[in-house]
Amino acid sequence: MKVLIIIPAYNEAGNIEQVVDNLMEKCPQYDYIVVNDASSDDTREICMRRGYRFLDQPINLGIGGTVQNGYQYALENGYDAAVQIDGDGQHDVCYIEKMVQVIEADEADVVIGSRFIEKEGFQSSGARRLGISLLSKIIMFLTWKRVKDVTSGFRAVNKRFISIYAKDYPQDYPEPEAIVAAVMHRGRVKEVPVIMQERLSGESSINFRKSVYYMVKVILALFICRLSFGIRR
Amino acid sequence: MLPVRLQITLITAVVFYFFMMCVFLKNKSLSLKYTLLWLFAGGILGALVVFPGILTWLNGLIGIQENMNGLFVWAIAFIVCILLSLTSIVSRQNHKIRQLIQTISRLENRIRELERQERYDTDEIQNNAEQ
Repeated sequence: MKVLIIIPAYNEAGNIEQVVDNLMEKCPQYDYIVVNDASSDDTREICMRRGYRFLDQPINLGIGGTVQNGYQYALENGYDAAVQIDGDGQHDVCYIEKMVQVIEADEADVVIGSRFIEKEGFQSSGARRLGISLLSKIIMFLTWKRVKDVTSGFRAVNKRFISIYAKDYPQDYPEPEAIVAAVMHRGRVKEVPVIMQERLSGESSINFRKSVYYMVKVILALFICRLSFGIRR
Repeated sequence: MLPVRLQITLITAVVFYFFMMCVFLKNKSLSLKYTLLWLFAGGILGALVVFPGILTWLNGLIGIQENMNGLFVWAIAFIVCILLSLTSIVSRQNHKIRQLIQTISRLENRIRELERQERYDTDEIQNNAEQ
């Protein structure tokens, strides 16, 4: 099975080397692509110097457009599965194989690495967990699908969903919306337990002011996304 | 009815509006495709000002008693329509720009990979020649 690991990176000069080197060491059987979202730091230079495979977006598109670019690359190059991991080192690459196995066994179309199943490792702050739990309930209400870690960016998808996400992927904080889109495309979504770490260096892109915008925008986007598929389930 | 002085002022304003629109279109600083709604709105407002009878009839339909108030309501309605259409245009262009950026980055990656392959091939040929 031809698998591509998509690593979106925005200003990850402090982490990207460790993430990619770690990935090449632990998962040499998989291809990877770093998608540099017009970083203003040395992310691009590091990728060039180290000879990494990377896409270099000349203008910042945000996480949605960046991940979608990775899926388009996977589609163009005929990959059977794609796994997206964050460029900040939060996701342990050891779990990639476990997630790919679920896709390979055709047990699911979209696999989400969830930190809330076994509740081990970095669990995020209380306020964020509350927000995630609220989004999870809204997704449950909209799609009748229970997903605990709706904001996890650690995901694996099969060929069918590479094609779906390459064509249309939500922008601006896309993770919860992508779950609704997956369920509405009649995809089988499955969570597998993973352990996440705190980011290696730098700060998360979401601060308090942004998190209020995040909640309002995402909740609205979830309802609109659900409505765009009509009343069918 | 509209006061005659106001009617003359508004007609002059509409004529000036169309004149400006023509100048912009002639200079190609406005594209006709995105100007049609503005022209349509100007045409309707011009007709309402020249023939206030239509305005009175339209106002009666939605229950406005004063002609001036009606004129404001119609003008605001047109502006809202135009803003909505502009927002839709901006969203579509945003989508197109995103696709362009994604395509450029993948093409740039292909060029880089091809250059790397070419360098590798050249080195290999040189090594073989030296041997």
